[in-house]
Order: sequence, then structure tokens, then C-alpha cells
Amino acid sequence: MSDVVISAAGLRKSFPLPHGLIDRISGKVPLAVHALNDVSFTLHRGETLGIVGESGCGKSTLARCLVRLHELDQGEIHFEGTDVASLSGPARRAFNRRVQMIFQDPYSSLNPRMTVRVILTEALSVHAMRPAVEIPARIAELLDLVRLPQDSADRYPHEFSGGQRQRIGIARALAVEPEILVADELVSALDVSVQAQVVNLLLDLQQRLDLTVLFVAHDLRLVRHISHRVAVMYLGKIVEIGPTEALFAASQHPYTRALLAAAPELDPSKRSRKIAAKGELPSPIHPPKGCLFNTRCPHAFDRCYAERPQLTDRSVGHQAACHLTNFDPKDSLK
Amino acid sequence: MSIALYRTASLPRPLIFGGAILAASLLLAIFPSVFAPYDPNAFDYAALLQGPSTAHLMGTDNFGRDVLSRVIHAYTIDMQIAVFATVFPFLIGTVIGALVGYVGGISETIFGRIVDAVITFPFLVLVIAIVSILGPGLLNMYIAVGVVGWVFYARIIAAEVKVQKRLDYADAGRAMGYTHMRIIFRHLLPNAITPAVVYWMTDMALAILLGSSLGYLGLGAQPPAAEWGVQIADGKNFMATAWWISVFPGLAIVLTGLGFSLTGDGLAEVLRTKK
Repeated sequence: MSDVVISAAGLRKSFPLPHGLIDRISGKVPLAVHALNDVSFTLHRGETLGIVGESGCGKSTLARCLVRLHELDQGEIHFEGTDVASLSGPARRAFNRRVQMIFQDPYSSLNPRMTVRVILTEALSVHAMRPAVEIPARIAELLDLVRLPQDSADRYPHEFSGGQRQRIGIARALAVEPEILVADELVSALDVSVQAQVVNLLLDLQQRLDLTVLFVAHDLRLVRHISHRVAVMYLGKIVEIGPTEALFAASQHPYTRALLAAAPELDPSKRSRKIAAKGELPSPIHPPKGCLFNTRCPHAFDRCYAERPQLTDRSVGHQAACHLTNFDPKDSLK
Repeated sequence: MSIALYRTASLPRPLIFGGAILAASLLLAIFPSVFAPYDPNAFDYAALLQGPSTAHLMGTDNFGRDVLSRVIHAYTIDMQIAVFATVFPFLIGTVIGALVGYVGGISETIFGRIVDAVITFPFLVLVIAIVSILGPGLLNMYIAVGVVGWVFYARIIAAEVKVQKRLDYADAGRAMGYTHMRIIFRHLLPNAITPAVVYWMTDMALAILLGSSLGYLGLGAQPPAAEWGVQIADGKNFMATAWWISVFPGLAIVLTGLGFSLTGDGLAEVLRTKK
């Protein structure tokens, strides 16, 4: 578990907004959406790290930066000790093979003009995973692995349901035998009943193939179910990270507590009307000074407006970025 | 769903009709002498300016040439114009458009200015200007149309590729470590090319019109070649007395144009991406 495969330090990424001629003439400062504001974490071999947060908190940007679909503005991602940004040519292709991504939208992530066989054959042959003669057998194996019927091979994506398409996406990623899977909102576009199938498939594959998984999602219960460790993101920054049970049982950041409190409770007697976080998510174009959460935090005090808290240790492997360090697990918001 | 299945199971009607017209046109273009009753360039001074009759179904012109035979022989040249005046713009425009749409940024700006420069001039005027410089004749006409025409295809493809490259499957290709060329030409282009193919069909109809217009103006096919535009020009002095010399080649243009347009419509239906 302690074998670090990916370590990310000080990741920053912003997307500039359109800055036209008139803006320039009238002297407006170019604006940018700050998607990642100093994100650091490590990913250990064989573990599942869940990344949770509201829409727009930078989860997907983080996932895309990890597989180099976006280039970072600042910070470094090291994969087995090598700086990922320095890779090019065959080395980069090798990195792409070993770190694969599964996409959120099962409807747009598969090329509508390619059959499953063509999609898988391409992945297998470009990375020379198998000699040409063995490819059909390997495709049969992959379909088996993701529990799709063998006759799926010669069908087009539009002939499948969302859950099946997501499994084709998984098969495509697994075709190149990666070590790390980055799953960006893998099941959020699927029906609840299908979500369970796909998630359980992922868990099963992880065990059988010894995969390391970065699981990006906004569904807390799902993340709790599958992750060894969880990182909570808010406005492009990890505000709390730790072992799943410690984080859920004794969260050390007011935002995590707010998220947990906001998750709908099935038992009506436990329902609470207490508001854990007030207001709306601030604009990522103008993130607040000091602590990013200070506009919505019920505990905010002077220091929170002046100084941005960094991640500090709260217990073994459990870190939070908050000036307050004495959250009582019993003082739950629920 | 059932409608979609029904439509894929049987070909759309426009495609059937359009395809039939084009197949017949191609047959006439390849084997004109089999179908033409007379030699298209043979003068018959015994039968000048005769109206349609059983001997000459479309009548004869002022040299006694059989109009039907000339219309049939003109298929060879006019179908050739339809293909050669459009296939190079189509290919060049597709490649450039795909690259520009994918790369974006400065290449897109430069491309945009080229498009602006070309579409500022009316198409026909620009082509006539280039043909006048190069000299009349079919080859120079193909060159002139090629120089101008690729822009329209490139614009269509660039816009479509720009949409496609933002979809997750393009990102999936990049995350797979595929080369940009593979992503552009194997993944994006098949999803982006349909509107260009449909436009191509329309453009072939327009190319026949253009070829005929240039033939009429004396800048395209040269007399005595049998070409619809040349024929219409030949008949223009006899419009009041011998309408058949110009009208029948005109109808041939309409019919062939209809064939291309219907085929384009039908292809749009068949090639539509299923979601």
C-alpha cells in the first residue's frame, strides 16, 4: 500500500476567458477560471482514491491533467518518479498506455462510427499489445472481462445502453493493460440500478488485475463504498484527505461536514434541516481571499479571511486544510 | 427507434430516384455511341432546323446535326465536368479543413481570412477571371474551380471537426496515446464528413451548370464539341423558330442536376450518425 505510483505537487490550472479587442482597449484585466489551486496528493499502488466535490470544483480538470489531456500551468505530476510533463514521443505513449482514463459520458466517449471490435482492435494494435492473429481472441477475452456478450463485438455504440457503453469504455481502457485507471464520474450518467453493476465490475476488475484507481465522483455514498482513501475538493483545492472511514466518521473540515450533512438521509427520523453551508459556490473566476470556503463556512473567523489554510495532519494519513483543529466527531451536524 | 430501423433497412426514396438518374447518366456518358442514333457532329444539309419528329426525336440544329445525339454525347463531357471540377476541391478542402478545425488557433485565423478573401468575389466571376488568364478549355476550368472551390469544403469540414474534437471520444483517443493524424483522419473525419459529401453532390450539379455557363460563354468546352452549354449557345439565335436546339440540352442539365441533388438528400439520410 505504501508504494507511491503518482505524486502530484502544487498543481495549478486555469482556463483563460475570452479577452477580446474591446476588453483590451478598455483596459480590462484578462480573466481566467481557476480550476486547480495548488493541489497536492499521492496515489499508492493498488488503492482506490476517491475524489469528491461539488460540480465545478475541479475534479474533472484534475483527472484530465493526470492523463495529460490538459497541460498544467504549475506544479508537477510524478509517475514512478518521472515528471509526466517531460514525456514525449514513445515515452509519452507508454505513459498513456499505463495510465488510462474512463470518461463520464457514455454517449460521447465512443466513436459512433466504429464497432466495438474496431475500437478494441485499434487500441490493441496501436500499442502492439498482441500480434494481429491473437487480437480476436483477446477481444473475446476483454468482452468477457467486462461481462458483455460475445456478439457485441460487431455492433455499433448506438446499439447499446448507457451501462453497456460504459463497460465498452472500460474494455477499451483495459485493452492496453494499464496500471492506473482514472475514472471520471464513471457512473453519474447511469441509472442507479446500472451504477451498482458497473461499480461492482470496477471493484472486481481492480482486485483481479491489481489496478490503482482514481475515482472521481460527486456521490458520497458511492465513493465511501469503493474508496480506500477519499479526497474532498472545494474550488480547485483539496480541503481534506484521509482514509475513508476516518474521513466519514470524523471529518476535520467544515466543508466535508457540510457535504455529509447535505447528503439525503433515507431514514426520515434522522433528517435534519440544519444548514451546514450557506450560500452558493463562489465564482472560480474570483476565488475568495484567505480560506476558499470562508464565504460559506459557519465557523469562519478573522484568520480565515486573511490566510489560506494548508493541509495539516490530523491523525495518521488524515489531513485537512482548516485553521480550526478541534472538530469533535460527536459534534456531528446531523 | 422503429422509424430509424425502417429507414436503415430500406434505402431512402430520394437516393433510389437520384441514384437511378445518375446511373443512367453514367451509362450514357460512358457508352454514348451505343445510345445515340446519329453521329453528333455529322452535318445533314437535307435536314436543317427540323422540329422533333420520329426520325429526329429532339429535332436538328442549324447544321442538321441530330440534337438527341448531341445531348447524349454531351453526357461524356458534362459528367466529366461534374466529377473533375469537384473531386479535387473536395479532397483538398477536406484535408485542409480537417487540419484547420483540429489545430485551431492561428491557423484558423489565417484560414478565416482566406475564406473571406475568396467569398468576397462572386464564384462565377472569380472562375471566369482565372479562366481568362489561363485561357479557355476544360483543364483550365478544372484548375480555376479547384483554386476557388476547396474553400467551401474546407469551411464545412473545419466547422464540423471543431465540434467533434470537443467530444469525449476525441479525448479518449488522446488519452489512448493515439497520434493526432490518427485522431483527425480515422476518428474525427468519418464523423465530420457527411455535410461535405452532401454538399459535394449539390456541387456536382452546380459544376454542370458552371461548365455549361462557361461553355455558353466560350470559356469551357470548345465548339464543335457536344456540350450542353455550347449547345444552348448554338441555339440562342434560333430560340423563336427552333426552340428545341436549346431546350433539350437545358432539360438534360435539369435532370442531371436533379439526380445529384436527390442523391445528396438520400446520402444525408443514410450517412446520418446514429446516436
